[in-house]
Amino acid sequence: MQELRAVGQTYPIHDATEKVTGDLVFGSDLRLPGMMCAKLLLSPFAHALVKSVDAAAAEALHGVVGVFSHLNAPQTPYCRSRLVPGEPLCVEDETLFAATARFVGDRVAAVVAADRETAAEALRLIEVDYEPLPPVLTAKAALAAGATPIHDGGNLVYEYDRELGVALPSRPDTLSTVTTVATQKLHHAALEPHVCLADYDRSGTLTIWTPSQGVYGVRTVVADLLGLSYSRVRVIKVPVGGSFGGKQEFILEPVTAFLALRTGRPVRLTLDREQCIVATTTRPATTSTMRTVVDSDGMLLDVEVDTVLDAGAYSGSSPEYALMMAHKLTRLYRAPHYRHRGRAVYTTTPVAGGFRGWGAPETVTSVEIHLDHVARRLRMDPVELRLRNLVSPGDIDPATGMSLGDARIRQCLESGAQAFGWSRRFSRVVETGRLRRGVGVACGGHYNGLLGEASSESSTMTLKMNEDGSVDLNASLHEVGCGSGTAMRIIIAEELGVDWERITTREADSEATPYDIGCYASRMIYVCGAGARATAAELKERLVQAASRLLDLPAASLRVGPGRVEVADEPGHGLTYAEIVRGIRVRDGHDMIVTHTYCNRSNPGSYSAQFAEVEVDVLTGLVRVTDFLAIADVGRAINRGMVEGQYRGAVQMGIGYALCEEVALDDQGRPRPGGFKNYHLVNAPDMPDVAVLLVEHEGDEGPYGAKSVGEIATVPTAAAVINALNDALGTSITTLPATPERVLAAIAELDSAGQRQTRSARRGPTCD
Amino acid sequence: MRLTFTVNGRRRGIEVPATTRLIDVLRVHLGMTDTKEGCSEGECGACTVILDGKAVNSCLVLAPQVNGRDVLTVEGLAGDAELTVLQAKFIEHGAIQCGYCTPGMLMSAKALLLHDPDPSETEIRMALAGNICRCTGYTAIVEAVQDAARAGVEQNGPR
Repeated sequence: MQELRAVGQTYPIHDATEKVTGDLVFGSDLRLPGMMCAKLLLSPFAHALVKSVDAAAAEALHGVVGVFSHLNAPQTPYCRSRLVPGEPLCVEDETLFAATARFVGDRVAAVVAADRETAAEALRLIEVDYEPLPPVLTAKAALAAGATPIHDGGNLVYEYDRELGVALPSRPDTLSTVTTVATQKLHHAALEPHVCLADYDRSGTLTIWTPSQGVYGVRTVVADLLGLSYSRVRVIKVPVGGSFGGKQEFILEPVTAFLALRTGRPVRLTLDREQCIVATTTRPATTSTMRTVVDSDGMLLDVEVDTVLDAGAYSGSSPEYALMMAHKLTRLYRAPHYRHRGRAVYTTTPVAGGFRGWGAPETVTSVEIHLDHVARRLRMDPVELRLRNLVSPGDIDPATGMSLGDARIRQCLESGAQAFGWSRRFSRVVETGRLRRGVGVACGGHYNGLLGEASSESSTMTLKMNEDGSVDLNASLHEVGCGSGTAMRIIIAEELGVDWERITTREADSEATPYDIGCYASRMIYVCGAGARATAAELKERLVQAASRLLDLPAASLRVGPGRVEVADEPGHGLTYAEIVRGIRVRDGHDMIVTHTYCNRSNPGSYSAQFAEVEVDVLTGLVRVTDFLAIADVGRAINRGMVEGQYRGAVQMGIGYALCEEVALDDQGRPRPGGFKNYHLVNAPDMPDVAVLLVEHEGDEGPYGAKSVGEIATVPTAAAVINALNDALGTSITTLPATPERVLAAIAELDSAGQRQTRSARRGPTCD
Repeated sequence: MRLTFTVNGRRRGIEVPATTRLIDVLRVHLGMTDTKEGCSEGECGACTVILDGKAVNSCLVLAPQVNGRDVLTVEGLAGDAELTVLQAKFIEHGAIQCGYCTPGMLMSAKALLLHDPDPSETEIRMALAGNICRCTGYTAIVEAVQDAARAGVEQNGPR
């Protein structure tokens, strides 16, 4: 690999100092002059007609400037996940306020008042007359004959049937295995609760301050909904206190904008934690039944999957999300024939939406738990079974027809098995005491951008060098805590040969920064990072041309050194960047500025193999993850420490997915009371040591070979943990989360089946 | 009620309803937004401040409980001076990603080091058990606290 100066070191996130001093201003810290506080009244019923809303007492309260519901707000339907006008798969089925409440947490009314206390008091004074309708709480119930329709047109939001390759004729020596895996709704649990500010000023401009992953999408949805010109809706991205997909759709922006427009006051809308859990988006609950056929060597011959995705009350991004579930498996495994049928289904439950990994954690959890069952039946080491079927560099993904690029998953798995001591740990003597250890492995694959799903993808950036040699990047960056601002600085620093601290980046502001779709689809490094490099390269070329004029020497005789352009044959003779920028401005009146639109042409896979060790208490059913190893195919680390940090955070999220996190509802569709009190996140004492090893090979078109990190990191985690749990107990747990109750039930089932004795015979040959 | 207390070394006296939470005293009444609110029920630790040397969730403390007492928030760690060792170690170890949990994490860590300048890794993890981080997986945070303890100056560092 090329020796690099700036890329690959460890850097703090760009605003670390403001974060450790408390100086950074998040959305909830922002105060606009004359700002009002808004609060939402959410439906207590999973399904009900909102027959009347009596707001007279609330409106009479001193300090209240407005109370809004479906009775005095537009009923124009919109889709919260539309990024670009005319985007396909966007079903417009949501309104600002519900005339029919479709889940516990649906927006029924909003109060705008001078302060929070008055708004809360006003909410209590609103009297709503609901006519309850039958709740429909599971996708299965929603699809049943005679089910109550949740929207006109029934409960099926979207359906697809993807078939890739040709089914092989059946053979007598093959093994067919069927597994059904169920995954649950998760809360993103970004520590910052959802917040949005909006102000409609006298010039007719609506300004929105929001911790969003995509300001141009906010503009699209809000302007279309409220009938405003795109140039009159300014969306400013403010610091994001964690997102993980939770702030990629436009949940609070439309309603906050409406409240500002209607009251003529600056408005801030903040959700509390309980509201964040029910009334934003969740990872969709999915059920996938997977059938594979393998030959006696474990080679996959046929894969068929049937997925039902619970979209919740509104379609949001669920059609696309469901479809994406069918586009993940073939990034990971070769299958001569792959058929995936999927359905996204309305239920009267919290709305599903984008969540870190976008279908990959759901699909991979199913595939990887399933493959362990196949390995057990074949008496084959699970690592060996995977190695026989994983993709290789240069493979074509049949789902998109595009190359998977330098896909290094085999290397991840092999090196990980070695580092983890897989062979020794997997073939250990099975424990029979109260505490039992098990080990599990899982692989995952993911994307680098939208290409293949979208027909084109680009990013526009402007880079300017000042007269002192400092550099300003003007781009629609959406930093969400993953260090994208720092990464852009590192890339530009490398390309130009200047210190990263002399580069300034700004964040997205639709009035001031050029178009970029936003922080979606693991595209920041691969697409925006490559764009930053290309823009810097163009600026460098301009610097050489300017130096050529100033020195009166042909450009070919010059070379670029760190921070300067010098004469190739005469080291020491040349101009610093600052001298060039000053000189060319004085001499020719030229500015040192370039605007570059980078068009991405590829979409390789990013990969991870992960290994977990768990300890299960068979008396209590409690599972503790005691050791964890993640191998990351990153192409090239831009900011090494940040790559490792993102991986460790992703493992925290994946362990929660496997063991303890769930947006659980009772038989009336009501969530558990409280916020985090009843939503369990893995804390510091419960986190294992997570070792992260990088595979760097620099074989793709990202900046210096870099590929995506943030999403792939969490894709295989839950499956690795569940596989370790099943390894410890000999169980076949396939329903997430594996709570103590479920673990004890699985143990009891195993005991009653008397299968424990046969367990020791399950292990076949192993490999490292 | 008349609330008189010390915040970051400064005497403050304000009139607030007795039911006001400490976090609202700070954020709303005093305009100090360095302390963050994450769950409003003492589960996430984002709002942690130090009250007379002990870490507390400021969303669970009411105004009368701080009357006459001493509160330290994250902006009081360094004041106008240079960053404390603990803050610098958080930056150096990459213990900060989105940064929303950071003020609370720092205050829990600071409270630990006030009482135990040389904690074990387990003790650090237990001291941070009430502070949720969704970004880092905790490793970098724990390492930062360990390193700050090793540097051994937090004990006598600026209050």
